[in-house]
Amino acid sequence: MIHALLWMCLLLPAQSADASLPPDALPLLQSGIDAENRGAFDQAVAAFRKAAELAPNSAIVLLRLGDTYMKERDYAAAIPPLQRAAELSPDAPAVHQLLGYALLAAGYASEAIPHLKIIHDDGALGIAQLQAGQAAEAVANLQAALAKSPDDPDLLFYLSRAATALAGQSLDRLRSVDPNSARGHQALGQTDYEMKMLPEAAKEYEQAIALRPDLPGLRLELGQVFAAGSEWAKAEEQFRGETKLQPGSAEAAYRLGNALLQQGKMKEAAQELKRSDSLSPDMPETLYALGRAAASSDPDVAEHALQRVIELEKQTPLAGQAHLVLAQIHRRQGKTEQAARDMENYRKIQALAAHPPS
Amino acid sequence: MTRRELLSFLFSLGALELGSVLPAQDARASTSPVFRVKSLKGVDFVLRNSPTARKHLIETMPGGVALLDYNNDGLLDIFFVNAGHARDNMANPVSFDRRNPAYWNRLYRQNPDGSFSDVTKQAGLADAGDSNYGMGVAVGDYDNDGFPDIYVTNFGKNILYHNNGDGTFTDVTAKAGVAAGGWSASAGFFDYDNDGRLDLFVTRYLDWSVEKSKTCGSEKPTYCPPGDFPAITNILYHNRGDGTFEDVSISSGIAAKKGHGLGVAFADYDGDGFTDVFVANDVSDQFLFHNNGNGTFTECGLDSGAALSESGRMPSGMGVVFQDYDNDGLPDLLVTQLPHDPYVLFHNDGKGSFSAQELEAGLGVLSGNVSGWGVGLEDFDNDGWKDAFVVQGHVFDNVQIYDDSLRYREPPLLAMNRAGRFERADPGSDLPVAGRGAAFGDLNNDGWIDVVTTSLGDAPQFYLNRGGEFHWLTITLRGKRSNRDGFGARVQVNGQIRFATAAGSYLSSNDKRLHFGLGSAETADIEIRWPSSIRQVVRGVKADQFIVIEESVQP
Repeated sequence: MIHALLWMCLLLPAQSADASLPPDALPLLQSGIDAENRGAFDQAVAAFRKAAELAPNSAIVLLRLGDTYMKERDYAAAIPPLQRAAELSPDAPAVHQLLGYALLAAGYASEAIPHLKIIHDDGALGIAQLQAGQAAEAVANLQAALAKSPDDPDLLFYLSRAATALAGQSLDRLRSVDPNSARGHQALGQTDYEMKMLPEAAKEYEQAIALRPDLPGLRLELGQVFAAGSEWAKAEEQFRGETKLQPGSAEAAYRLGNALLQQGKMKEAAQELKRSDSLSPDMPETLYALGRAAASSDPDVAEHALQRVIELEKQTPLAGQAHLVLAQIHRRQGKTEQAARDMENYRKIQALAAHPPS
Repeated sequence: MTRRELLSFLFSLGALELGSVLPAQDARASTSPVFRVKSLKGVDFVLRNSPTARKHLIETMPGGVALLDYNNDGLLDIFFVNAGHARDNMANPVSFDRRNPAYWNRLYRQNPDGSFSDVTKQAGLADAGDSNYGMGVAVGDYDNDGFPDIYVTNFGKNILYHNNGDGTFTDVTAKAGVAAGGWSASAGFFDYDNDGRLDLFVTRYLDWSVEKSKTCGSEKPTYCPPGDFPAITNILYHNRGDGTFEDVSISSGIAAKKGHGLGVAFADYDGDGFTDVFVANDVSDQFLFHNNGNGTFTECGLDSGAALSESGRMPSGMGVVFQDYDNDGLPDLLVTQLPHDPYVLFHNDGKGSFSAQELEAGLGVLSGNVSGWGVGLEDFDNDGWKDAFVVQGHVFDNVQIYDDSLRYREPPLLAMNRAGRFERADPGSDLPVAGRGAAFGDLNNDGWIDVVTTSLGDAPQFYLNRGGEFHWLTITLRGKRSNRDGFGARVQVNGQIRFATAAGSYLSSNDKRLHFGLGSAETADIEIRWPSSIRQVVRGVKADQFIVIEESVQP
């Protein structure tokens, strides 16, 4: 929709000319409108420019000229006649809309904002604010636009960009205000982690924990840094610390369970993953990890968890992996037919992933 | 040790019932280095892979090493496969400058004093084919004349060198019909039809040529993943027994599956008396070719549970070893791969099925963020449990600019087996190298297994076992009805199992002798099931010696 709005320039009725124009300008205006209706934009521009020379204070002629330039995608050329039209008719919404779009399309986002505010175009305004570095305002306006058009892909795209920009601005602010605070180190740790600079990230988190050992989330994130480097024993230590701080956190319990699983501590892992499942039931990743952890020691629990993954996930890759683990359990139990069915289901999901329905 | 001493026992006894006498678990902590890492006098080999700015994929994949006693003097010799001179811009007919001695494969003969002599030229192994870029090596006595023959794989044409028995080799590739073509990787000799003659399996990596070469990563050029190139079939050659081989890839069913084959290992995983084949594929399902016993194979990796890792992902399979790590009598599979999944350990659950148990076995914490290639399951401390050794190093020589947590050069992984669970141990060197090939054997005949590894652009590394207190036994098989090397035999010693093979690891060939750690046991009971189906039992063999067991002529 935004795309269409940005590039759609037909704002004025094309069927008739303005009768208040000087008599010699009127035929030129009508000639331009006719050419525009035929799609002959070069001829239309020539006619409107001549009309504008004869009637330099006619907002309608200038608006027509700007509109035609925009149809030709010549946004920079559209700006001067539209700016003059806005001076002549400061209360005409169509003028502000076209001028706002022209400025935005030509890269003058800050200059576009006042015009887009006048016409209350939340979507275009949000985009202009994002490009002007006003991330917080952009998020608010894009969310307002999305409330009216919830599935608009352009709005969703720009909202995600705006949210990312807002997060970045907040982190920059945090770093500049108090870089040596626990949150400052946490923010730096997060940045290092995203850049896969794991040792540096771990150091930042460790400094944050030294400053605020009771701050929830720090150990969870540090554990994830260690997990990314396959340092599972260290990850377990951090996740265990997080579960003490946040005994009600299903995610902390899941992460701890997974760290135990990676170390082959299957019984402990299954216990922690069950606890995570009880805190936040039906999380597919938790159930899948529980299925893997319990596959040898408690196949009934494993089978139940994996079947639930399949119910929840249907035909996703995770459901396919659940079928694989089920096949393994059934083979061990000597249930070869069931194992064959599991593998058949696995293959169906693989085929679906390789050739998704159009 | 003289050859006479080495061959001091020659058993030829009938079958008897044997009980299992597994060694007790060793509770020692692995605190002291297991190996002494040193250079070997006379070995001056450098694996020259010639990395280019174009990042041709072949550059990062060599090269193999073989441990063999080519002159039957009782001392292990070493054969290295060199790569070649790659260039940024290459066009057909391509030359890798293999006539230049810097790019020759090399054979080093071990002298009685433990030093080595380069005998490449006098052995007739200097010409590796100018259009060949070297990869791997397989060793086996394909004509049962008592002297090990050498098969070299290449990008280009492979070469079969017949051992003439007088210290020289003859290139018999054309006559034998085993040149293959394209990009071959690991290969191995085995007897798939139990006719007493060694057949040959050749893995091929992918459909690559200098014309198809490409570079990935626009701003940070690097090697392209295997999925960017078409998959290709492996090759099975049947030994006709007259010095020639027949390509039976299609009729046997081997060519029914295309993959990105790199590693190959053999064992009879279901106990039906026929040797099966496992192929480690790079970023695709692993292949387990079940030997149907009638000259055909059925690929059953997925249905048997030996195709995917515990996480359900397709491993980037590089090297593989097919031996029994948990002493349950069934051969298991250890497959090395790239980060971020651990090396895959397919436990043989019996009845033809496997389950990935790398996490249960402790490999999750040892191998999640490293890149593995050559691999062995050998009993380095002679405690009766096979330990794991993996030579490591990432594919990309610039991997750090992609992921700072990864390294191109890495030290090896040594993991001691404590009753089925692996624990990190000190290999004696933390020197990081771009490791690739690895061969395992008792280089100095002291009863303790050593390792030779290769690394790109570098000299090889020699891991000489420091030894210890436990007892051992090393067996050389001599087939009569079976192939002379005894490949495919199932050998049980005090309850432990080894499958006789020189294949496995990555691009490499191991000492064919079967080594067993005996723990504190001073004698051993041996049971052999030969490929001929003959069962043979030897009781009360004294520990700490090398013995030769000749196949009984009586079934």
